[in-house]
Amino acid sequence: MHIPDGFLNAATVATTCAVSAGGIGGAVRIVGKKLGEKQVPLMGILAAFIFAAQMLNFPVAGGTSGHVIGAALAAILLGPWAAVLIMSCVLIAQSLIFQDGGLLALGANIFNMGIVASFSAYYIYKLVTWLAGANRRGTLIGGFVAAWFSVFLASIFCAIELALSGSSPFGVVLPAMAGVHALIGIGEGLITGAVLGLVLATRADLLQLQRT
Amino acid sequence: MKHSFLDQYSEGNSLIHRLDPRTKLITTLCFILVVVLTPVSQWQAFALYFVLVATLIIISRVPVLYVLKRSLVIIPFVVMIAIFIPFFKEGEVAGSYNIWLWQLTVTHSGIQVLLNILAKAWLSILSLILLTAATRFSQLLRGMEQLRLPRVMVMIMSFMYRYIFVLVDEVMRMKQARDSRNLGGGRLRQIRTVGNMVGTLFIRSYERGERVYAAMMARGFDGQTRTLGNPVFGQRDFFFAMTLGLILVLAIVLNLWYL
Repeated sequence: MHIPDGFLNAATVATTCAVSAGGIGGAVRIVGKKLGEKQVPLMGILAAFIFAAQMLNFPVAGGTSGHVIGAALAAILLGPWAAVLIMSCVLIAQSLIFQDGGLLALGANIFNMGIVASFSAYYIYKLVTWLAGANRRGTLIGGFVAAWFSVFLASIFCAIELALSGSSPFGVVLPAMAGVHALIGIGEGLITGAVLGLVLATRADLLQLQRT
Repeated sequence: MKHSFLDQYSEGNSLIHRLDPRTKLITTLCFILVVVLTPVSQWQAFALYFVLVATLIIISRVPVLYVLKRSLVIIPFVVMIAIFIPFFKEGEVAGSYNIWLWQLTVTHSGIQVLLNILAKAWLSILSLILLTAATRFSQLLRGMEQLRLPRVMVMIMSFMYRYIFVLVDEVMRMKQARDSRNLGGGRLRQIRTVGNMVGTLFIRSYERGERVYAAMMARGFDGQTRTLGNPVFGQRDFFFAMTLGLILVLAIVLNLWYL
């Protein structure tokens, strides 16, 4: 889902960069107030964790494989603003070091995989755990649903940006992106659920983190 | 540690290596901007950009083969997003195929747009590879900080860069352990295994983070980082930026002229 340079037109680049810059600015302010700079080493290592976790591929269908984005996990464990900050750092480093995603497209990529994915995951998780009860089952189901939606919504925004830029017609890119990512989302959901289950079993205190 | 490949050529001593990271960041951004905004039909312009990047790569003495290999790793991902384009642009039909249920038509203008986007993406990737191959990551971060990227992000990224190698080592060990135990079974089981691996990795990373923070506190960390020696924007940077800027302005003027 990392959009390279050359696909987006000037208007889309400008809009997404402005929105993402605003989002990062807000995240810096709120995270600075809530967590303080003392949490920076932890967030840095968690960014490295997401980087490393994206290296683990799982089979999707017909020989293709996907990897987790990690935004849902970060949002559920650390809250949406910290997740936005961590995902932005991961995406900037991926663009610069691995050329995975373009430099001008960074605004769009941060918007899709950082802002949209983190916030949708966080609030859907809240909603589902509220509906299903704040127990183990609720946490796992909430994690799965939130992660699936985070991937799905991010891919839809990605498709909209590509279509608005005239790179691909809307009627083609939307079903293609949404279809593929509906499958990848299942993997992301299952893995997020499994991670939450493991965290619940070994370090349940971490799930209370953003409530305090 | 086996992964020092990330910026293995960044210790060189060419003109490009010695530039201020700010100069490199901004010229790279301008270059990509000009490339991306070039109209579809300007093939001469793309040739000019290519010559420009190639010259800079040669000046930087980063091995050409390395740059090519790195750029070709990314191209499949670009093609994956671009592959639909030639089928859905209106215009003169270049070919028509029946594949299963679909009637696919490829148009000339569609192919042109596809090649154009691939060229743009490739040129941008080349310039980014040059940027990171000729600059140490810590320098790049310093440059970004001077260009007003929030300090928290710069610090997160510098910690991240420090620990990527540790965690990637960890992932590789886990992968090796998984593969040597003949992971089989259905897809669900495999995903469960990956889930457990990611979970273990998360807890290990988190606890490492706690230990690192405690160690830093014990050594008097107060939220500030102090470093030696800031890079200076000198004459060299000025001339480099002016030259590159002139070439890019020339390219824009030529594009408008021929339009």
